[in-house]
Amino acid sequence: MRKVRVRAPQDLVAGASLVAVSLFAIWATAPLAGGRLGAPGPGFVPRVLAVLLGASGAGLCLLSLTRAGEPLGRWPLRGPLLIGLAVVAFALTIRVPGLVVAGPLAILVAGAASPETRWRELAIFSVAVTACCIGLFRTLLHLPIPVLVLPGWFTL
Amino acid sequence: MSTLISHLALGFSVAFTVPNLGLCFLGCLVGTLIGVLPGIGPIATITMLLPVTFGLPPVGALIMLAGIYYGAQYGGSTTAILVNIPGEVTSVVTTLDGHQMARRGRAGVALGIAALGSFFAGCVATLIIAALAVPLTRVALLFGPAEYAALMTAGLAFAVVLARGSILKSIAMVLLGLLLSTVGNDLETGAERMTFGVASLSDGFDFAVLAMGLFGFAEVMRNLSVEQARDVVHGAIGPLLPDAADLRQSAAPIVRGTLLGAILGILPGNGAVLGPFASYALEKKLARDPSRFGRGAIEGVAGPESANNAGAQTSFIPLLTLGIPPNAVMALMVGAMTIHGIVPGPLVMTRNPSLFWGVIASMWLGNLMLLVINLPLIGVWVRLLKVPYRLLFPAIVIVCCVGIYSVNNSPGDVLLTAFVALFGYAGTRLGFESAPLLLGFVLGRLLEENLRRALAISRGDLTVFVTRPVSAWLLLTGLIVLVVAVLPGIRARREEVFVE
Repeated sequence: MRKVRVRAPQDLVAGASLVAVSLFAIWATAPLAGGRLGAPGPGFVPRVLAVLLGASGAGLCLLSLTRAGEPLGRWPLRGPLLIGLAVVAFALTIRVPGLVVAGPLAILVAGAASPETRWRELAIFSVAVTACCIGLFRTLLHLPIPVLVLPGWFTL
Repeated sequence: MSTLISHLALGFSVAFTVPNLGLCFLGCLVGTLIGVLPGIGPIATITMLLPVTFGLPPVGALIMLAGIYYGAQYGGSTTAILVNIPGEVTSVVTTLDGHQMARRGRAGVALGIAALGSFFAGCVATLIIAALAVPLTRVALLFGPAEYAALMTAGLAFAVVLARGSILKSIAMVLLGLLLSTVGNDLETGAERMTFGVASLSDGFDFAVLAMGLFGFAEVMRNLSVEQARDVVHGAIGPLLPDAADLRQSAAPIVRGTLLGAILGILPGNGAVLGPFASYALEKKLARDPSRFGRGAIEGVAGPESANNAGAQTSFIPLLTLGIPPNAVMALMVGAMTIHGIVPGPLVMTRNPSLFWGVIASMWLGNLMLLVINLPLIGVWVRLLKVPYRLLFPAIVIVCCVGIYSVNNSPGDVLLTAFVALFGYAGTRLGFESAPLLLGFVLGRLLEENLRRALAISRGDLTVFVTRPVSAWLLLTGLIVLVVAVLPGIRARREEVFVE
């Protein structure tokens, strides 16, 4: 038997992830009634879509064995993870203690994502941008964004 | 004809009020700003500003949001010409000849012709919308659920073909988008679908979260992972006004680009993206000396720039007449409309004529304003382009955070957006495009609703989609487009167009 060679690793991983999503969706919609064609139930459309998605994933996997394609390539992780972390930090601090802390925190964490960052410059910049955000969103546009909330003591 | 004029007169009487003029100007200004800045586009911006529009009257809200959208097309070309980075997807082709013109000391002329072409295209597109709106609305009233489902399917087929990269991957993304749209309470039975008991999911996956994650944060992640060679044109920009020879050379490409862009823009499935590519290819084919292209041919700027603006505006047609959003920006418009209790579709024109014609008239005024914003203020935008990305991206991150928080005042949304962004980034690494996913998501609910209704009416007879002539034609068109795209010869050409 000839050894099977993967000729498009990126497509293989892509196809496999689609199949995984499809299986997950089929499992998640299992309790829903499918109905008949004449009276489609709530599970009808999602299940059809999940099966089609799985089929296209399987197709990608098969094609990756026959058709040459992209390698999996480099996955730079530092940038994306730090950006994600910055957003998470913002989410956790926006209610308490508010934008005054959440703003500079998110900017500083995000700044670590780029190797070009100069820290002193970014620190000053973060304060300035946060001030602009407060001025724009809170004062000018009247959005209810918590600026500074110290429970039981101070709320702005 | 006289009704057209009376309609436009009504529109101008609405658009010419002080608050609406102000909102139109504000929208155009913000649009230009984000168009100029690479790394933040109209989708993220409109998502961010959606909460701001809650307090505005509906006409004003739509006028401002529309201004952001077509304003971004203008701004995108400025970055394309001066920095060789497309500010928006639709200005990718402009980098080819626009930047070359800039390197030859003709940046001013390139900017000038782009603005003039866009202005002409904007004017014509406004007239086309006004002229087509009434007849198309009549057509829409003849549409049953089967036709609606078929039209959306055809639109999704277009979206697949227009996306870059592998067709199969694009199809998968459309399917994934559709699948995501089924999360939440079932429209007919109220059954919970794939919510896993999470209360906030019962209304469905939030569109703002998805759009901001895939197009706001994931975009920043992508930009950080590729080294961007920024090539800001140094030295003088030169005269802004093209001379007589330039105008003679550009006149015909502008007209052709406008028509091409306008027609492609109407297609559901984000045809506006195709316009500039098609126009560039056409001009290159028609040119007496095609080798000039890529070395600063003014036709290569004039045609595509007119096409992208015309397309951006005519993409309002499916939304306003059929109630179908042809791209993600229009889906956000749906959001802005429904918040004010307006259901997009053929009835908007009869029930809210002042809104409908007011928005259309504002587009013409907006194009006039953009001419002013872009040409005399060009120095401001050039200075903005010199802000280094290391400062720009943290600012984009924080503004997007505040924006997504404000949509529902929910920190949970912000968390969810972070995860969507990471998935979006991983998807890009695997060669998946975000645009078809978002369009699938946008059309998903409408498509399912109409599909199920059509099946219920036909009592489960699937042939209803091919026995009703309009539906059959629409499906056939979608199928032809897909088949043609898969054929090897055409596929090579399609790749060629995108590579160029």
